[in-house]
Amino acid sequence: MSLSVIAQYVMNGAMLGMMYALVAVGFTLFFGVLDIIQFSHGDVVAAGAFSGLAAWTLLTAAGMTSPGLLLIAVIATAAIVTALLGAVVARFIVLPVKTAPQLNVLLVTLMGGTVLRECIRLFYPGGSQPKLFPALLPTSGWNIGAFHLRFDNVILLVAGGLLIAGTHLLIGRTRLGLAIRAVAQDEETARTMGIDFRRVVLVTFALGSVLAAFAGVMDGLYYNEVFFGMGLLLGVIGFAAAILGGLGNMYGAIVGGFLFAALQTVGAVALPFASAYKDVFAFGVVILLMAIRPTGLIGESASERV
Amino acid sequence: MTAPLLSCRGLTRRFGGVVALDGLDLEVDPGSVLGLIGPNGSGKTTFFNVLTGLFPADAGEIRFAGAPITDLRPQGIYRIGIARTFQRSRLCLPLSIFDNLMVGNHQHLEHGLWFNLVRRQALRRQIDENYRAAQELLHIFDPPLAGRMMEPASRIPMIDRRRVEVCRALISRPKLLLLDEPSAGMTHEETLRLMDDILQVQQTVGGLTIILIEHEMSVIERVTRRCVVLNYGRKIAEGAYAEVSRDPQVRQAYLGLE
Amino acid sequence: MRSRALAILFTAVATAYVWFLLRAESQRAIAALIVLGIAAGAVAIRTRLLEPFSKAIGSNERLARGLAFAAVVALALILREDDFALLLLTRVLIVIVACLGLNVQFGYAGVVNFAGASFFGVGGYTAAVLARATGLPHLLVLLAGGATAALAGTVLLLPILRTRGHYAALITIAFALLFRTFLEVNDALGGPQGLKLGEMRIGPVRFNDRMQIGPFEGSFYLKYIAVALVLLALAFAVVQRLERSWIGVALDTVRLDEIAAASFGMDIARWKIAAFVIGNFVIGVAGALSAFMIGFIAPNNYTFAESLIFVSILLLGGIGNPWGLSLATAIVILLPEKLQIIQEYRFLMFAAMVVLTLLFRPIGLVPRPLRRLIGSPE
Repeated sequence: MSLSVIAQYVMNGAMLGMMYALVAVGFTLFFGVLDIIQFSHGDVVAAGAFSGLAAWTLLTAAGMTSPGLLLIAVIATAAIVTALLGAVVARFIVLPVKTAPQLNVLLVTLMGGTVLRECIRLFYPGGSQPKLFPALLPTSGWNIGAFHLRFDNVILLVAGGLLIAGTHLLIGRTRLGLAIRAVAQDEETARTMGIDFRRVVLVTFALGSVLAAFAGVMDGLYYNEVFFGMGLLLGVIGFAAAILGGLGNMYGAIVGGFLFAALQTVGAVALPFASAYKDVFAFGVVILLMAIRPTGLIGESASERV
Repeated sequence: MTAPLLSCRGLTRRFGGVVALDGLDLEVDPGSVLGLIGPNGSGKTTFFNVLTGLFPADAGEIRFAGAPITDLRPQGIYRIGIARTFQRSRLCLPLSIFDNLMVGNHQHLEHGLWFNLVRRQALRRQIDENYRAAQELLHIFDPPLAGRMMEPASRIPMIDRRRVEVCRALISRPKLLLLDEPSAGMTHEETLRLMDDILQVQQTVGGLTIILIEHEMSVIERVTRRCVVLNYGRKIAEGAYAEVSRDPQVRQAYLGLE
Repeated sequence: MRSRALAILFTAVATAYVWFLLRAESQRAIAALIVLGIAAGAVAIRTRLLEPFSKAIGSNERLARGLAFAAVVALALILREDDFALLLLTRVLIVIVACLGLNVQFGYAGVVNFAGASFFGVGGYTAAVLARATGLPHLLVLLAGGATAALAGTVLLLPILRTRGHYAALITIAFALLFRTFLEVNDALGGPQGLKLGEMRIGPVRFNDRMQIGPFEGSFYLKYIAVALVLLALAFAVVQRLERSWIGVALDTVRLDEIAAASFGMDIARWKIAAFVIGNFVIGVAGALSAFMIGFIAPNNYTFAESLIFVSILLLGGIGNPWGLSLATAIVILLPEKLQIIQEYRFLMFAAMVVLTLLFRPIGLVPRPLRRLIGSPE
């Protein structure tokens, strides 16, 4: 296999890995803060992509043409919509059932995600068909030998990396991040220390959802298309990636995301006759890894009091 | 001098940076009631958890009736005759009291598919036998409770739940009973009554050894012949309650006195 | 005596209601009937009638089962020429069977299965392949459908259930999403078009021929109803006996508190796997029968959304309660089929209903009564 083909695979893998990592970090944030699995996250990604698309559609219809401005508008809309959705989900769906068994939260968010997904399918104009997502980034690139390095891919990768790094800084270096970590460690103590538990939860959910917004827009920009069910597989993969790395562990989520992308790429290379099997292969390996190291490759953070 | 029923050597368990058990040595004589006391966080419940296999030991050895049991899982520990109650009540609240008691008797019940689905007469007989046995046991602790066995566990007050938990542990006729703060949430009288009932069972059944974690010292004083005092995961004193309560190391651990 | 009369009266009213609903043609009439049903349900919930109702069924199981059986037979006979109504009735019966299997996994053992429709499809595809490629008697084909689904479930979940049970959710969702794609890319399994099944035959009975016993005549669907009813009676009996046994106690304990269960000798993984295998077997058999009845299968019938419908049925009806589950199945299947306007919206509607149920009435419509190990006639 020639170097340029390998380079192409690596690029694809990196793009996917970045998307998965963004989604996985969201899952990890939610699990860290509330010990819950928030299964509407994938559909929030889709909502982000679609709201960005809606913004673009409206603005271009109104006459705006500058791709730079449009891009900003798309991202901003996606971020605002998903942040709101995340907060709404936290406030009205997750927090009320916090005391119920963990399973209930998974169920209620899964069904909530379904409501979101079906709303997109039924109420977005033409929602049941895949929609074209505009190419808002420069499509030129550099040629390195036979390999064509696309400019927009590089931008997406860098932006995704910055976003994750920013989140990491936020969690690690700011007061808000300290509050989030305190709540993640021990809700009761954090509360007695004067931390507004509810606010922290809402902010964390909004934050995780903004990451989702970016993943959604990135997905749309990369594939040039979105469809109402795009969040499902992305959510499952993101969740699997978060588990692989160790639920509650941010580094783990990132590693898990890229690992899954790597597995998919290996699968695609090894089984060229049907691309569908790459997912089966990747999940198969995930199942095996989960069986061998159930606390994740890096290590889970939660534990139960006996 | 009879051989100890349970003996631990150098038992160690860490949780990240915290050393919960630090080279603990402990022995329990058969048929006795051993008190396990110590300030909060001294490792008492962790000892129970490691002993029953819920957490693996990082170092050290545990022997039960001479045989090593350090690496056994909770299921194996139950089968060799060690049963326990939990610090925070772990009853299955949506299930009936009878169901909860039957959980404790798991190893004496028949769980085959054929037996349970097809041989319903035989199943009925086994259910009836166990119902009577459960009633008798519960009757010792609280006669009215024995009449309420088909009610959901969620409907009885905390003290009755504790009684049911103790009965759940007793019903399988264990050799060693581990009680983790059975008095939590009870009044002084209720606690004494509970302990008296447990001792009554110990005398009737015979062959039952008890380790009791307790914070109420009057209970320890009255019920145990020997205690072991833990602090920071190691044993700092051992002996009759009267002795250890005067031990300056123990007093410092509890009260921080010089 | 009085309660018996009440029970018979109630069954007669309910049967009449279902008959009207199945026969109604005009959307207005259907909508009116549905509103009536909702009103009755709301009144029942408000006046707290449902718990004692559930208890009453629990203490008179034999009567309840007998009445339900009689009601279905009566409906089938009355509707013997209405193909569409019979098809709907059979579908309800078959889905109840599948959900009973799901209930063993989820309601009793606490193992979430978000791929119920996929395993239903495994049963169907097994039936199709075996019926087309072999001469295996169709009764055995039905069983093979169950066995394949059970095997598929084991392969998928054995590694997970041994370690972290709650990851079953993740794995079954992934399976549900990938199953359809797997079917579509496999031409041996018919690809996106699916496969056709020939006529089902059990002994001398040919299932595509009209039913004829002496002077009595009716649609061929009556034969399927007979088989479905037998299957349902079996599944109901198995599931109820399972619950009212030491196995039921063990499953419930494993679901409610793994630490207590382990501390008293229960092998968590073994119980969860056992429940999953039993449940999947039942789901697979139901899927095989369904494939024969409809005559063909396609990947489109076995999507993740359909699996969520199964889960919704369990959550709406009352987790762990076979009667509640039956009621919910009837609602979830019949409503969108009769009321055309909500067909398109059924996924949205039922998902929203589940969210509301989980937030405000998590025990579901007909909550599960206390287990009666003592003092209940078999």
